[in-house]
Formats: sequence, structure tokens, C-alpha cells
Amino acid sequence: MASLIGFYSLVFGICSSVAIIIFSIQNFRNPKKLNEKILILTFLQFFLVTISFLGLIISFVNSDFSNETVFNHSHTTKPLFYKISGSWGNHEGSLLLWLLVLTLFIFLFILKSGKQPTQYRILTLLFQEIIIIGFFIFLLKTSSPFNYIYPIPEEGLGLNPILQDPSLAIHPPILYFGYVGTSIIFSSSLSAMVVNYISKEWAKHIKVWVLISWIFLTLGILLGSIWAYYELGWGGFWFWDPVENVSLMPWFALTTLIHCILVLEKRLELTSWVIILSITTFTLSMSGTFLVRSGILNSVHTFANDPERGLFILIFLFTLIFLSLFVFFFFHKKETNNKSSFFLVSKETSIILNNWFMMYFLSVVLVGTTYPIFLDVISSDKISIGPPFYHKLIIPFLIPFLLAMTIGPRLKWIKSDLSDKFILIIFFIISLLLSLYIVKTLKIDFLINSILISFVFYLFFITLRDFFNKKYNNLSQNIAHFGFSLFLLSIIFNNILSSEVITNLKVGDTFKSEKLKIYFENITQKNEKNFESFVGEFVVENSQGDVFIMKPELRIYNQPNIATSEAYIRTSLFSDKFMTMNLVQNQEYFNVRYQIKPLMIWIWISVLMITLGGLMSIIKKNEN
Amino acid sequence: MKIFKLLTLFLFLFSFCSSYAEQEKLEQKITKNLRCLVCQGQSVHDSDTEFANSVKLLVKKKLNEGLTEKKIYDYLKDKYGEWILFDPKFNKKTYFLWLLPILLFVIGGLLIFKLFIIRKN
Repeated sequence: MASLIGFYSLVFGICSSVAIIIFSIQNFRNPKKLNEKILILTFLQFFLVTISFLGLIISFVNSDFSNETVFNHSHTTKPLFYKISGSWGNHEGSLLLWLLVLTLFIFLFILKSGKQPTQYRILTLLFQEIIIIGFFIFLLKTSSPFNYIYPIPEEGLGLNPILQDPSLAIHPPILYFGYVGTSIIFSSSLSAMVVNYISKEWAKHIKVWVLISWIFLTLGILLGSIWAYYELGWGGFWFWDPVENVSLMPWFALTTLIHCILVLEKRLELTSWVIILSITTFTLSMSGTFLVRSGILNSVHTFANDPERGLFILIFLFTLIFLSLFVFFFFHKKETNNKSSFFLVSKETSIILNNWFMMYFLSVVLVGTTYPIFLDVISSDKISIGPPFYHKLIIPFLIPFLLAMTIGPRLKWIKSDLSDKFILIIFFIISLLLSLYIVKTLKIDFLINSILISFVFYLFFITLRDFFNKKYNNLSQNIAHFGFSLFLLSIIFNNILSSEVITNLKVGDTFKSEKLKIYFENITQKNEKNFESFVGEFVVENSQGDVFIMKPELRIYNQPNIATSEAYIRTSLFSDKFMTMNLVQNQEYFNVRYQIKPLMIWIWISVLMITLGGLMSIIKKNEN
Repeated sequence: MKIFKLLTLFLFLFSFCSSYAEQEKLEQKITKNLRCLVCQGQSVHDSDTEFANSVKLLVKKKLNEGLTEKKIYDYLKDKYGEWILFDPKFNKKTYFLWLLPILLFVIGGLLIFKLFIIRKN
């Protein structure tokens, strides 16, 4: 029943979208004010998709296995929370969620953009409706979450246990808020181009959407990383895996956009670049969703299994890209004020530098992620591209990037002199000495490290000092940049100072080294609703004489039958202690892995700080 | 800026020549650069499957036999294919992979440079 309602609200939803298009075209020709019906219809469209989404959730909650999606991804013994989150943990459901956020955002856009020109608002709505209808058709035609199966199966196939986790349950919705926010930026920049509204006012208005999408995207990526850290059991948080990269690419593009839209807002420059970036960001977000959900990233062949879906995605993407290029070439007017010029030492030059490097980082990730796919298609050679590739190409370029990030915000618009030269130099010397000292005491022989560390410290000290500098009042920017320096510092020291012990132990055994003693005290078994749990109890004693207990867990899920290892983590301000245990095949031994990960919590805190910078920027805008 | 970049490039190349003294660290480094073929997106070092464990032992054995890091990579590549290496070698299959980002960086720089020159004249 719920599935049926869900399906039909989708059908009615697409009707309301068509109605919106008809009314919008009428209204566009006669643009005195926005037709009230349009606002009501956008709400109706959102409402219908919400009903449809609720229909899917109810089917999941009731374990209605006559619904194919529920059958494939749920199970009666699953806890309620994961039944609900399971509804968007699959291809069909996640596309429905995308559509839901799309319709919500366009409704909010129409509601909140009252001060903008009517024609611009309507045209943005029209472009957005093209995307929305595309998603409706895609859902109904190739990936309906409401397919019926008969005879009705007794039991479902279950959700992958590693997805049964609170942070991963809310990770997709948050990430999608970020992704879908970029569609508003896309439609808005296209329509602003057509009605010739690319102006300082437009920049001011769209900046809020850019910031909102960016905040959600950042938080979404953060949640994914935290999940990878404690759930995948190897103690890392970023592996340059294609699925991760795909979310990082729009993030780079959005971060670039945040910076260069400032130039547009203040000086009405770089208009073409802002538009190109808006289009790029959305294209990356959308191809990202498709790439992850279609499975093409893991293997080209899964994609070919369902050619209809793949074909639709490709046609849809190309239509949108073609449409945006068409609009760009026919409607975009070049900047007319040719007199303006960029001086070498100015805020805009440093922002251009930022853009240049950001685009480089983006291209590294883009090439690294897609290259194996192309190579496989062309020559059927399989190669892997992992962390070493990205580190080699990104780390050296971080150094000039950091310098621009330190100096740039201190410069003024148009033409500037560097003030406080003395202090800047003093801080640089301090950072250099500090990093040399650290590199020497830790006996790291990577020369690149010492340079990188000194520049990160430089950014750290300068931004830290600016918190107390009254002359300098851009708090949101300062927090974000400070957060970034903290982020890099935490990652670098986490990388250098991490240590680990891997050993096989059975109950009663003790592992001993100079620095560490691990005693395997006992193991207890518990039966949970949908898994069997084995909790080990280890007494760890370190060289300082601290004694503490670690309780890593092994879970054997019943449906599907998969064993997962749950890490036990003791977090403190200075370092995380991280322990996992695994079964050793056919033996009474367990493989125990104990890691010390310094400054782990600061990685999360610093990302939250960066996000806070964005949030404060929005609040500041509203106050003005 | 130019000198600076040359300097970084030089230092960067230099850093690759430096080597670890201890075998354990080398072992870690090698196994972190190997893909666990039966898992999804994990290195041999981080994985605990039977496959990963056997490769770990294999790397240890080969190191004890006196093989260099590069030789071990070559050996594993012959055995399991290039898919197992996370750090793709620079050869005719990967010219584009390594050079394309750098090329884009240079093109971007030229574009920005053009923007300055044209505006100034």
C-alpha cells in the first residue's frame, strides 16, 4: 500500500513539474510579478516527493518485501533505525532522496529570493525543473524504488553490516544537501546569464547558496571520514579511494567558487570564470552521485550490466552540459570595463593564485580517479592509483599555496602594500626554526617535510595572531584559514608520529615490547538481534606506566552473513588509542592490532572550525 | 616564484632518494603500496584477509632474500598484474596520468599570465 502511494505521488509529482514549467513560461513573458500559483506548485511538487519518500520509508519500516528495493536491502531483524536509513542506502532510494532535496531547495529558493528580479527567479526555476524532470524520469523509468515482486518473499536480503552505523546513516543526506545545493548555483548562474543579471547584487545573493552547499558538503565528507576511521578498522580516515575522491572534487570546485565570487562581488571581475565554475561544480556533483551509485568506479563491467541506466545517465549529463555550454556561448557578455587591471600585490591576485592551485588539486584528483577507467576501456590494462600518486603530486604544490593563503588575506583590494612586514618576517623565522627543530628531534629525513611544516606553522602563527589584531576584522575567514592550518598540522603529525603493533594472541597471552605490554584477559560472547558479538578484553600498559582496558569487538552478522570488526577507541586531546581484533582462520588465536594515532581528534575539530568559518560568513551577511 | 618552484621540485626529487634504515619500516612501506586484491580499496598492510597476510609474509621473505624494494614490486607485478601496485610506475601507459595534471597547471599559469599582460598593455 505504502509503495503504491509512493509510486503514484511520484507520477503526480512529475505532473506538477510540467505544470510549473507551463506557468513559468507564461509568467516569464509577462514578468510583472511572480505568479502565486508557481509558489504553490513548487510546494506541491516538494510535498508529493516527500509523500513518496515517506512511502518508501514506511515500506522499509514495515519490512514490506513485496517491494523489490526493500527485499534487496532490508531484513526483519534489523534495528528500526537502520531500517529507516536503509531506505537511502541503495541506488533507488538515494536517487529519490536526491529528488527530495532538489524539490525542497527550489521551493526554498523561490520563497527566499523575493528581492531578486522576477524573470531571473522564473528562469532559475525553469532550469531547475529540467533537472528535476530528468530525475523523475530516471527514477520512474529505470530505477523505481517501488517495483513489485510476486510471489512475496518471506525475508529480505539485508543491508551490508558496515553500513549499519549512525554516522553513515546521516552521511548521505548531509552530503546530498551539499551536492544538490550546487544545482541551485548552476541554474541560477545560467539564468543570470540569460537575463543579463550577472552583477554585484547577484554575487551577493548566490554567495549564500554557495556557502550553504559548501558547509553541507564539508560536513558530509567529514562524516564519511569519521566513519571510515572507526568502522573500517585500519585506523586511517582517507584512502584516496575513488568513492571518496568523487566527493572531494566538487568540494575543491566549491571552495574555489567561494573565493572567486568575492572578486565578483567586490570588483565585478572574473564573471566568466565564476560561471564556468558554477557549471563545473554541478557537473562534478551529479556525475559523482551517478559514479558512486552505478558501481562504475569499482568495475566498468557492473555498469554494462544495466545498459539502460548507464545510457540514461550519459544522455542526461550530456544534455545538461550541452545546454549550459549553449547558454554560455550565446548569452554570456564579456566584461565590458576593460580599463580595470590587476596588480601583482593585491587581494584579487592572491585569490587568482588560490584558484589556480585549487584547480590543479582538482585536476590531480580527477585524472587519478578517472584514468584507470579509461585505460581499462581502451586497452583493458588494469592499474591502481593509490595514496602515493596523490601525495607526490599534491604535497609539493601545497607549499606555495600555503604562502599565498598566509599573505593573501592581509592584502587590500585593487592595489596594496604589504603592511607589518617586520612581523611577517619574524614569524616566518620562528616557524622555520621550529620546524627544523621538530624535524631534527624526530629524526625524519624527508627534507620536504621540514619545508612543508615551516609553511604550515607560518600560516598557523599568522592566523593565530590575527585573532588578536584589531586592524584585521575578517573573523570568519580567519577562523577558516586557521582551521586549515590546524588541519594540515594534525594530519602531518598524525602521519609522522603514528605507531602500531600487530600481533597474534589467544586468551591469556601477553605481548611485550620495550614500550608496551598487552595482556589478553578474556573474551565474552553476546547474542544481539541481528548479530553475534565477541568482545575481547585487553589490558594495555605503556612505558609511562599507564594501565587501561581496551575492548575491541568482532561481530558476525546473520543477514547477510558477514563478519565485521568494531574498533575500540580511547580518545584524548593528544592522541587516540585504537584497537581492533580479527579472527585468524581455523585457530584459537586472534589477530590484534593496536595503534596510537596522535592528534586524531584535532583533524575532526579543525574541519569543524573550517565549516564554522563558512557558517559565520553567512551570519555576517544576514546582519548586513 | 620561479626559483621557488625549482627549489621545491629539486627538494621533492631529493626526498625520494632518501631511504629507511630499518627493514620493518621498509616492509610497512611496501605493504602499504600494495592493494589487497580481495578487499575493496584497502592496502595489504591494512587488511587482514588471508590473501593480505600471505603477501605480507611473502614481502618479508623476499626482503630477507635480499631483494630490493623495486625488485619486489616487479616480482609481485609479474605474479598478480599491475592492479596490485598503488603507486603506478612512470611508463608509456601512464605518461598521461602523471603529466596531465602538471600540464593543466602550466596551462592555467599561462592563462593567468596572459590575463596580466593583456590587461597591463
